[in-house]
Amino acid sequence: MNSRKTALSFAAAGTAAGVVGLVVLATPAGAGEAPPALPPVSAEALVESVLNTDAIPALTGSVAVENNLGLPIPGMPASSGEGDSIQVWSDGTGKGRLALAGGRSETTIVDDGATVWVWDSAERSVTKVPHQGGVADKPVEGKFADPAAAAKELVTAMQQDSTVSVDGTARVAERPVYQLVLAPKPTEKTLLREIRVSVDSELRIPLQLEVLANGQSDPAVKVGFTEFSSGAQDPKLFQFTPPAGTTVSEKDVPEEMHGEAVDDWLSQADLKTVGRGWDIVATGKVPAEALTAAEGMSERGGQDMFALLGTFGKEVHGDFGTGYVISASVGTAVITEDGKVAVGAVPEQVVLDAVKTVR
Amino acid sequence: MTVAVDAPIVTEQRTKAPVGRLLRSELRFMIRRPRTLVALGVLAVAPVIAAIAMSVATTTAQNGNGGPAVESVASLVSGNGLILPVFLLLLSLAMLLPMLGAMWSADALAGESQTGALRGLLLAPVGRLRLLAVKAFGVAVLSLLAVVIVAVVSIVAGLAILGGDGMLTMSGNVLPFGESLGRIALLAALVTVQVWAVAAVALAISAATDHPLVVLASTLGGIIVFTILGNIPALDWLHPVLLTDAWESLGDVIRDPMPTDGMVNSVLRAVCYLVIGYSLALARISTKDG
Repeated sequence: MNSRKTALSFAAAGTAAGVVGLVVLATPAGAGEAPPALPPVSAEALVESVLNTDAIPALTGSVAVENNLGLPIPGMPASSGEGDSIQVWSDGTGKGRLALAGGRSETTIVDDGATVWVWDSAERSVTKVPHQGGVADKPVEGKFADPAAAAKELVTAMQQDSTVSVDGTARVAERPVYQLVLAPKPTEKTLLREIRVSVDSELRIPLQLEVLANGQSDPAVKVGFTEFSSGAQDPKLFQFTPPAGTTVSEKDVPEEMHGEAVDDWLSQADLKTVGRGWDIVATGKVPAEALTAAEGMSERGGQDMFALLGTFGKEVHGDFGTGYVISASVGTAVITEDGKVAVGAVPEQVVLDAVKTVR
Repeated sequence: MTVAVDAPIVTEQRTKAPVGRLLRSELRFMIRRPRTLVALGVLAVAPVIAAIAMSVATTTAQNGNGGPAVESVASLVSGNGLILPVFLLLLSLAMLLPMLGAMWSADALAGESQTGALRGLLLAPVGRLRLLAVKAFGVAVLSLLAVVIVAVVSIVAGLAILGGDGMLTMSGNVLPFGESLGRIALLAALVTVQVWAVAAVALAISAATDHPLVVLASTLGGIIVFTILGNIPALDWLHPVLLTDAWESLGDVIRDPMPTDGMVNSVLRAVCYLVIGYSLALARISTKDG
């Protein structure tokens, strides 16, 4: 029958259209797109233009964090957490807003220029942190006062141990970018292959940072915009009024950070660095109290901590006593039973050499 | 010559009843089924029970007796009645609403096929496309009705039992009453489209079988399988194709500013499933023997 044929061909066309639609939806945008043609730029000029951009312009975007370290990092979502996304807004005058969306909760951080408000939907609480005038930031800004000189200095410093180059162009968040690549010189012992910074060709702000380790095709860490648009933002976004029925607590984070407790801890930790360039290893000591506190709770508590380290890492013996080595794709850490610690983006042997220098 | 022209016109007049009357009679027929009435009644009672339970749970949580899970949900719901429709719509989208959509789809073709009523319709000089369209319309209207019942009852229950005159969003600001209702209406529309997509696929299965239970079991089984696949990180290349995977993004209506990307994607995905479902149903019903 003719009408049956028509109906069947309609049905076939409809099914095909639906399947094609699903495939199109599943295909990431911009895949297979040719890299944009941009005027060539030298690494120095690129770094200079980035430093020249004094403030973050008015923008909004989504930021994605991918972590293939093989180790969970506190506060950093693993790459499987696709439900989590970070949305950022900036008005270009220093005010900003950050929304960390979880599956069923959200943390919103609003900086209205005078106060930083932290809203936690799961707790329904607001934390208020007044600004401290940015005293700590001043020296850094002074150092970069002359972007041209600073860029030259920076690139020269980097060139001692690395090759700095502009490796073509690409697209990040559908914007054309230059890719600034920092690769260690062959003499370096680091586990890292390269660090890749994608700089927006027009606004000259970094849009993406990738850290690539040896023997890994995917970046070990990738932080970057997945969506980006510049332009004036709604000023209402940068205001926050604690809603009725919420608990508001005030915190003085900067003072706490520079408080005596932290200073004491830092001096006790005896932080030092060994090596230079890519092979730099940070060494220190976990304060005796931290270990005794862990052991003091119960005899088993202290043992359990090392048992836990044992499951994460590998037990090693040497001049420094007994320790545990924890390896990730981008670095190695060692902690000994008497509290010596060494961390660096280097192979195990270099870290073990470094921990021997700790007294 | 006039006779030859007249004859087809006469048959055409006989086959085409007024569309409005057809649709109305189909709807009346579906709504009068006891199971439909029971299902809609349950949908109307559930929000009230949920509102009372939430208000009790919030009081317990404030006394420090609730678990962390209760606190995280209850902390937003307490004194914030307009968030209740959002929670309930998302909750019922996970299982209850797709099940009802599948049930009505199952009744529409497989159920009638089982009782023999469909045989009569297939033999009658009625276009198969027309038959399918009327059935699909009935299912779609009932699905919409179910979503509207959940939304309206939970708005009233939320305002009456939990209180509040605006919506405290997940982002920590309070939306005025009108805008809150707009957000709920938007979510209701988005949920309806998703239920339509499930019901369309169920209608395709319904056209292929004589047993309504097969339709219900395979649709719900499909949703469960999709949900499981969506929770396996190693299959993340498959996730953008799964219908259920887009449902989580519907919760974005209670964020401010509202991210729309996930919602647009969920609607497009649902439309694809809708087109596939109706196409397969059309293919099956037009080849079905009387």
